[in-house]
Amino acid sequence: MRLRHLFLWDMRFQAKYGFYLLYGLLTVLYIVILFALPQAWRGSAAALLIFSDPAAMGLFFMGAIVLLEKSQRVPCAFAAAPLHAMEYVISKTASLCLISLIVAAILALAAGLPHLPQVLLGTALSGILFTLLGMILATKITSLNQFILFTVPVEIACFVPAVLHLFQLLPTELRNYPANVCMDMIAGRSFTAAGILLLGAVIILLFYLAEKCVSKMWESAGGVKL
Amino acid sequence: MIQVNDLYFSYTTKPFIEAMNFTVEKGEIFGFLGPSGAGKSTLQKILLGMLPGYRGSAIVNGTECRHRTNRFYENIGVDFEFSTMYEKLSARENLQFFSSLYEKSGRPIEELLEMVGLQNDADKRVADFSKGMKSRLNFIKALLHDPALLFLDEPTSGLDPANNRMMKDLILEEKKREKTILLTTHNMQDATELCDRVAFIANGKIYALDSPHNLIMSKGATRVTYTWMDHGEHTASCPIDRLSGDEVLQKLIAQNRLKSIHSSEPTLNDIFMEITGRTLL
Ligand SMILES: Nc1ncnc2c1ncn2[C@@H]1O[C@H](COP(=O)(O)OP(=O)(O)OP(=O)(O)O)[C@@H](O)[C@H]1O
Ligand SMILES: [Mg+2]
Repeated sequence: MRLRHLFLWDMRFQAKYGFYLLYGLLTVLYIVILFALPQAWRGSAAALLIFSDPAAMGLFFMGAIVLLEKSQRVPCAFAAAPLHAMEYVISKTASLCLISLIVAAILALAAGLPHLPQVLLGTALSGILFTLLGMILATKITSLNQFILFTVPVEIACFVPAVLHLFQLLPTELRNYPANVCMDMIAGRSFTAAGILLLGAVIILLFYLAEKCVSKMWESAGGVKL
Repeated sequence: MIQVNDLYFSYTTKPFIEAMNFTVEKGEIFGFLGPSGAGKSTLQKILLGMLPGYRGSAIVNGTECRHRTNRFYENIGVDFEFSTMYEKLSARENLQFFSSLYEKSGRPIEELLEMVGLQNDADKRVADFSKGMKSRLNFIKALLHDPALLFLDEPTSGLDPANNRMMKDLILEEKKREKTILLTTHNMQDATELCDRVAFIANGKIYALDSPHNLIMSKGATRVTYTWMDHGEHTASCPIDRLSGDEVLQKLIAQNRLKSIHSSEPTLNDIFMEITGRTLL
């Protein structure tokens, strides 16, 4: 019940702060790029764009949302409310993933990617992965500049290998690396059970860490500079 | 409602809150009065279950604070020292959102808005609110779920006289609804007016705890001060209960020679100073 309310409100906030508009514009831009490319590249390009959406946008927007709340001292209010940190984590993650899923569906259909359910599952998993990372980072820091700085290593660790993997520039032994599994799913390629298991384990661990970090942030809630 | 026994807490290794004991009864307005850094907000945070690392016992609504669960907050309303709202959302949206966090359906939002005179500003963004409007809005946010216990951190600080008056009336209104209210302040006049009992806090310790009236009466009675002219101005003073024994005053009255006369009772501020050796501000 509370989770449903939270989720609906998160969507409302995101609409209010112009996220939907921004994503709408991005989607249009992505489609223009897709159709400007030669037919032969379209599949890989679509996979890259779909992956980059949660990877770049999800991570960054989650950080921005949490920092914004911090700067308005909203975490103090959460600390003194009957809300569970896990409900907060799930609601925020789900609401951002939903946007990524919509963008992914549009791009996949536009590019004519096969295996739509697999593409969407891959998008959802990458969305969870990156938004949780963004959330964990954002609870630890106090300014937007700091956040941008700290996202760099995350992008290097997650985004870069996945892109290299997409273009088969990495040794196949690395195919079970969680970000690469996501990329394989989005690109409609095959993936291993071990890869999925590892990805699942990483996601569970990140949920656990995110809950811990959010609880801690609420307890020591204070102001930040934006 | 609240029982604190032998409470110790510190953010660091240096002792801070030490050997605190007090109880707060249902329906009471209880004030923490003390200078900046005394530990008032810290104490509130402990009672809110936000600082579980204390020693001793602090029981709120029947729950030991360090063992609180999330349900603990269904019956507690908190008004922090600062605004804790989404600035880009309207007042009404903020209230709707925060109200959705509670299981209890609570009090109607329109009624609360009207109570603090914000019904015509409800659709404005909080960012466009004045300080007084924000503090009223944050106050009713604490009432949304109709909690039995209210924590108000500096509810009157930084408000102009009109808003200050309004806030005090709102607090007294909640007392009439049988809420238990804990507030912190360093304004002794507000404390005198609002609180059934106050605790003097300085350096993490309670120096005195009683009704404002008893505290004021405990230290010296009201004095009468008078002046007269006799080759220059003279001033003398005398406790109000010994006026009949003051021969100078008697004579001055008989000869109609008094230039001025006034009585002054010690304020809570004077008493605070006398007991703790510190000023309130
Ligand atoms: N999170 C924290 N970590 C370490 N020290 C803290 C923390 N919060 C407060 N303190 C310190 O504890 C002391 C008491 O702070 P507290 O906020 O309880 O004072 P206060 O009585 O509420 O003062 P004010 O009237 O200014 O609000 C201060 O010295 C403060 O620096
Ligand atoms: Mg304080």
